[in-house]
Amino acid sequence: MATFVSTAAPVQTDFPPTTGRPKWESPEFGAIYEEHSRQIFYLALRFLGDPTQAEDATHDVFLKAYRKLGEFRGESAVRTWLYRITINHCKNLLQTWHQRHLVNNNEDSLWENAVAGTESPLRVLEIKELGQRIQKTLDLLPEEYRLLLLLVADQQLSYDEIATLTEQSADAVRGKLHRARKAFIAQFQKFA
Amino acid sequence: MNPKSSKLQQQQKQETTEATASQQMAREFASPEEMLRHDAGQTEVPPALARRVAESVAQEPRHARSWWQRWFSRRSPDS
Repeated sequence: MATFVSTAAPVQTDFPPTTGRPKWESPEFGAIYEEHSRQIFYLALRFLGDPTQAEDATHDVFLKAYRKLGEFRGESAVRTWLYRITINHCKNLLQTWHQRHLVNNNEDSLWENAVAGTESPLRVLEIKELGQRIQKTLDLLPEEYRLLLLLVADQQLSYDEIATLTEQSADAVRGKLHRARKAFIAQFQKFA
Repeated sequence: MNPKSSKLQQQQKQETTEATASQQMAREFASPEEMLRHDAGQTEVPPALARRVAESVAQEPRHARSWWQRWFSRRSPDS
């Protein structure tokens, strides 16, 4: 089992101070925003790797969600539904921006070879900027691994829900997640 | 008091203090997802974003209330 040791430094942002609670046209939708905005913003932030773009994406996701409220039939949880919109939106942005060329080959076999030596426990001390290090690590992973790790980090999501969101079987999710963890650990170590 | 003994005690006290501080600062993660979970907890949504979303929603045309909106309305007496 890999063990990470780090300082728990809070994320530094350049965002302006609180400007008061907004008055929502729809209090119900406001409640949805309050409950899920952190996870949606976090997924966008770490998936896109840019706070400003993540903020824009989160805005667009909630606006899309509001427009599609009439289509939401409650067949999935609200958060799963929001995640689906977020994933589609962020993938479209990445395709359009062509910003992720750090890892061009997403073949699983290459990553298996690259991380073959990372099964032993690791210990990393003194991480002053944990968020930045996590972002650097995620940026180097294939998009699919990055997404799986971010989704599985949300304990509200089951493997079946993650499988549905990523359009594959739960068994495939488990297998890829195993490789994604190894790849993350291998890359994370490099930024020690 | 033996000055050497006093100096040793002072050094030991300082080492203990430093070790304690280090332990308080350090955090262990058993897996990448546990680390990401912690990172998510430390990440604040930009405060201005809620107002921005609310303003954009206010400009949208009103649409028929879906089942969940009606459900929420029933649960919330002040809405």
